[in-house]
Amino acid sequence: MELLVRDTGVEKRSQLGLEPAEFAELYQTHSRPVYYLALRYLGDPQKAEDVTHDVFLKVYRKLNEFRGESSWRTWLYRITLNHCHNVRQSWHSRNLITNADEAVWENAAARADSPLRALETKELGQRIQKALDGLAEEHRLLLLLVADEELSYAEIATLTEQSADAVRGKLHRARKAFAVLFQQSA
Amino acid sequence: MKRQTKLTAQEQEQLAALNAPQTSTREFATAEELLRHDAGRTEVPPVIAERLLKSIQNLPHPAPTWWQRWLKR
Repeated sequence: MELLVRDTGVEKRSQLGLEPAEFAELYQTHSRPVYYLALRYLGDPQKAEDVTHDVFLKVYRKLNEFRGESSWRTWLYRITLNHCHNVRQSWHSRNLITNADEAVWENAAARADSPLRALETKELGQRIQKALDGLAEEHRLLLLLVADEELSYAEIATLTEQSADAVRGKLHRARKAFAVLFQQSA
Repeated sequence: MKRQTKLTAQEQEQLAALNAPQTSTREFATAEELLRHDAGRTEVPPVIAERLLKSIQNLPHPAPTWWQRWLKR
């Protein structure tokens, strides 16, 4: 992203209230969480790449609309989730898929309580994706958001438009379902 | 003294472990701990920054605000 700082075309845009170095720093700090959220939520590296690009382009154009009422991370995630939902909607309209995890963990509660053991291999990411894909969409999203230590339960609740208590309750089920699915993916 | 050429079963296991690809088993207490680890080792493709730079370069210049137009008079 250093190129952005040096590029003269970018510097012209600082009249929007945007400093190129600030934008580059914003990208450096937040591109990984944004890309990771899109990658694991959508399960498609190409789509995650497109979403990350679109999110930061939108941020670049709309930076002056950021009012500081939420953290950068929350604001970026809100834009990311909107993009992801649009991508999913257009994809789901063409491909009918159901993946509910309701029954998965209820019959396997004992296994769900044990720690997750994983080999440090290239396939670990594939196993994680497979387990996430088996979750209900809401559970997948909640797990991905709670994995980001910068987000509080209150912020997750705001992002997902529900109460913090509801988030906690659903997370409990999501964790169990994930544990079972992850063990099954070995 | 006759030198031993055959490896014991234990030595064979040790040798196999040495020759095997280096992997380690990690334990994660929760799903989010595992996801955090996964996020930490996920690299953002550099092509995104390159695409972003091109897209920014192609953006139209912002229209001057009313006060910028007024100052140019």
